[in-house]
Amino acid sequence: MLVKWLTQVKLAALLAAVFVHGPLISQQMDSAYDLMARMAKASKELSYSGLFTYEFRGNLTSVKVEHVVRDGETYERIVYMDGPEREIVRRGENINCMRASDMLLRGSALKINDNTYAHLQDFYNFYIRGDARIAGRQVSVVNVIPKDKYRYGYVIAIDKETGLMLQSVLINRQGKPMERFQFVDVSIGTQVNDIEFSSELIDSADIGADQSDCLEGNQQAKVSESRWTPRWLPAGFVLSSYQPAGTDGQESLMYTDGLAVLSVFIDSSSKIRNLPKVDANLGATVAVLTNTEFNDQRFAICVVGEIPRSTASQIANAIAPIPARPMQ
Amino acid sequence: MTDPEQRLAESISALMDGESTELETHRILKEVGSATVNKQGARSKWQRYHIASSIMTGAPVAKIDLSAAIAQAVDLEETHRPSSLQKFTGSASRFAIAASVAMLAILGVQQFSTVEPSGSDAVQFAEVAVTADQQNNGPAIQFPSDFQPNIQARTVSAGGNNKVSQKPLVPVIQVRQTVSQQYSEQEVRAYLNDIILKHSSHAALNSSQGMLPFARVTTSEGGSRDD
Repeated sequence: MLVKWLTQVKLAALLAAVFVHGPLISQQMDSAYDLMARMAKASKELSYSGLFTYEFRGNLTSVKVEHVVRDGETYERIVYMDGPEREIVRRGENINCMRASDMLLRGSALKINDNTYAHLQDFYNFYIRGDARIAGRQVSVVNVIPKDKYRYGYVIAIDKETGLMLQSVLINRQGKPMERFQFVDVSIGTQVNDIEFSSELIDSADIGADQSDCLEGNQQAKVSESRWTPRWLPAGFVLSSYQPAGTDGQESLMYTDGLAVLSVFIDSSSKIRNLPKVDANLGATVAVLTNTEFNDQRFAICVVGEIPRSTASQIANAIAPIPARPMQ
Repeated sequence: MTDPEQRLAESISALMDGESTELETHRILKEVGSATVNKQGARSKWQRYHIASSIMTGAPVAKIDLSAAIAQAVDLEETHRPSSLQKFTGSASRFAIAASVAMLAILGVQQFSTVEPSGSDAVQFAEVAVTADQQNNGPAIQFPSDFQPNIQARTVSAGGNNKVSQKPLVPVIQVRQTVSQQYSEQEVRAYLNDIILKHSSHAALNSSQGMLPFARVTTSEGGSRDD
């Protein structure tokens, strides 16, 4: 009788242990892709503050970041710790706003058109490389390897407890690291909620949060109203934002495959369209500036993104007016 | 057994095991082939060793020497001499290969020479191919530090020609102030900084990295503040 009772107690204890540590166990069983999806959610919905370093080609920059979620809206501030005093503030971003990259990363397939869906897994392989310790926290390291030559790979370290990304290394096609973001110190959770968001510096840039529209669940990816379109894009890139030409004569098309982001700028202003063809890079960001003639008018075309230079050039050369539509 | 004989024996043994050096093999062949010197030496050793090895492995042993008959048969063989036509086609095909390689080389050179930049009326850029290491220490006067534009092509109104170079190039100071000049380095720099900032703010919204893409802007912004 006693033995039987003891077995029951043991079983109950075991069950309790499973329930208590449920999140822990399920987390261990997460696939690499699930970790990425969790990260996308965490980086938006968590409050955190900390210091991170950005390194490329032997240059190191340290940046302070504060990210606070208050009443369903995010307040973000980054302060550059080196060089001239500068900071960037962004506020009023709705945490429920899902953008193309969120959709792609969180696994809800994004409809490109009626019968085509974009899946991040079609363009990258995800592997869990193992555990590590970054900024004093335990992390899972995920290798993200592109399946084609048009984009870069990543090594991403994700905090085990919260899902926050603590390190991101961009890897080129030769397998060499190109740039590295890495937190050195981070506080996650409630203790950062009291940060006052009055800007400390007069010289601070406030970035509007309305740059690209939020998407409803299962909504089709945006279709641009621009008369320009790339005749070629690497598979998997969907339009995430379109800015029509303003008074400065610049319109922009922005694309993402969920991880990589690239922007296309088309300028008709005389000042910019006469710029030379330039091929510049800043860290891992490449900018290819070229120009084209259309209806006897010259346009400057610039492709910017964290993508291989060859991809950027190929896209820049493929930007053309949509032929079917007459010019306004 | 004298010393050279000892060494020959070792060489033969090595050849049988497929472990002889090229030099040893040549020496054995010479010894075996020579009719006068060591007639019973190398050749009989070769035979004896093979018999011994056959016995040890349990293979059937027969002391039949086919070598003389084979040598005779080889002597009787008609010598294959390439006909003059074969010779001609052979050399012709070799020539064809060489010619096509040369043509490829010429084409390649032309390709390269078309991309070779040259000076023009409005702007002259001394172009220096740089190694990856040097790219880091680009000309700070022209662009913000660490912001290396690889001027890949220039369209110039006066020249009207379009030069493309595949080499990463570093423009060196010589911007001649002429009326026909349509842009300045500052404008290029300002424009690139502007679009990279726009791109970063977009990337911050549209990638999983939050505000991190703004960190990329630091260096160029820092440099351009001096304007």
